[in-house]
Amino acid sequence: MSEEGMEETNLSGSSDKIEREAPQLVTVLKDIKGGLDDLRAKVQVLTSKVKLGLYPTADGISYLEAKHLLLLNYCQSLVYYLLRKAKGLPIQGHPLVHSLLETRLFLEKIRPIDKKLQYQIQKLTRLTGNSMEDAVSDDKKPDATREADDSLKLRPNPDMLMNKVTPDDGDGKYRPPKIAPASMDESKSSRQERNVSRKEKQAFRQALQSEYARDLMNDLEGRPEEVRLPLLYLLFSVVREVVGTEDRDVTRYKAKMEERARREEELFTRAPLTSMEKKKLKHMRKSRNGLLGLADSFYDDIKSLPLEEGVGGQTASFMEDSNAGERKFKKHKVCNSYFFIRSLEGIRDLNSEATNKAA
Amino acid sequence: MADTKAVTIRTRKFTTNRLLSRKQFVIDVLHPGRPNVSKAELKEKLGRIYDVKDPNSIFVFKFKTHFGGGKSTGFGLIYDSVEIAKKYEPKYRLVRNGLDTKIEKSRKQMKERKNRSKKIRGVKKTKAGDAAKKKK
Repeated sequence: MSEEGMEETNLSGSSDKIEREAPQLVTVLKDIKGGLDDLRAKVQVLTSKVKLGLYPTADGISYLEAKHLLLLNYCQSLVYYLLRKAKGLPIQGHPLVHSLLETRLFLEKIRPIDKKLQYQIQKLTRLTGNSMEDAVSDDKKPDATREADDSLKLRPNPDMLMNKVTPDDGDGKYRPPKIAPASMDESKSSRQERNVSRKEKQAFRQALQSEYARDLMNDLEGRPEEVRLPLLYLLFSVVREVVGTEDRDVTRYKAKMEERARREEELFTRAPLTSMEKKKLKHMRKSRNGLLGLADSFYDDIKSLPLEEGVGGQTASFMEDSNAGERKFKKHKVCNSYFFIRSLEGIRDLNSEATNKAA
Repeated sequence: MADTKAVTIRTRKFTTNRLLSRKQFVIDVLHPGRPNVSKAELKEKLGRIYDVKDPNSIFVFKFKTHFGGGKSTGFGLIYDSVEIAKKYEPKYRLVRNGLDTKIEKSRKQMKERKNRSKKIRGVKKTKAGDAAKKKK
């Protein structure tokens, strides 16, 4: 209120405005003067009383002491600010602004503490007010009962509890009971947006598993490169990708074991292999050398070829058996490799027939 | 003869553990063509790499060879001094390094003693009781 007036006085070059605002300024200044006079009178009364020793000011609530100091500091800074403005001195780089801001910030921060302590402080002030009255009016009351009164008045009051489950709210509207704290979903994304984001995350995870990404990671971590000759290369002199020759189960098993190894390294311990895990490891090493996986998609290729009766018939029966649900047979997949080799022989015979015919 | 083949040691996840005053890391040993590298050889090599004054303060353990051979992974610790190592390391690793001796306890004797003490209840001295019952 008065600060506006001060700022307007600082505006040089607009004398019309000053003339307009001048009466307002005068009234505002009168208000200030009146307020300050009142304040001075009250403060002088208080200080005289304290000097006389009527109010014991020691052992107060330290929080309130701190708050008083902060408020005083703020008022002083404000007054100095007004003074500087009134004299027309600049304020720009002055540390005053900084201290004003700081104090203001502190006051804002302690406001929630204030609120929490409010109940207790009120209780205490009411109590002291009552006790002062009692002391003045009724000196006959013995000290013990007075203290008992005081402490009893400080106990929790169950009547003051708010009813959480309010059946009737007056309007006739139904309001659900607020029993458990409910968190607000601040993101507020619709179902489609969430689905899209989920799909993106999934795609990202899958991309990380690709070979290119794995090569990048190996490079970054400085792991030495591993070159393992695929078994097909040894059999047919055909160079294929290492990953392609292993079947799904083996790659998954390897991924699991790698994850396990990573965790072990992180925790600097080793988890012992259980007997089931040992059995699986043995199975993976001995009976599944990467060759079995080839049989998985092989029948799609050879279904259309005219092979020997025996092989074709056997493959048909094998497929039918597996479709009928002999899971145990399919699980170990030992016989798959047998049929694979038989069918390869069939192809070889076909090839030799073709070359003979050509020749 | 096996020593002529190259052995490469790489350390990963190197951290300095100030609480236990030691350096800990994961060791990757590449030994193509060799079955396995002995712990003594590994300690000697690590001592050379990290300029350790006392090779007795190096501990390597939990080595596992990867499938196909040629590569093994394990853990390693280098303590600041042998006294600190004696304070923090478990007994079996100190025995492996030669800093401690193993107490040979006869399992049979211990079990017999336990079974004898099962018959007596309370604070009675089982030792004297053992001797007496043995004589019987």
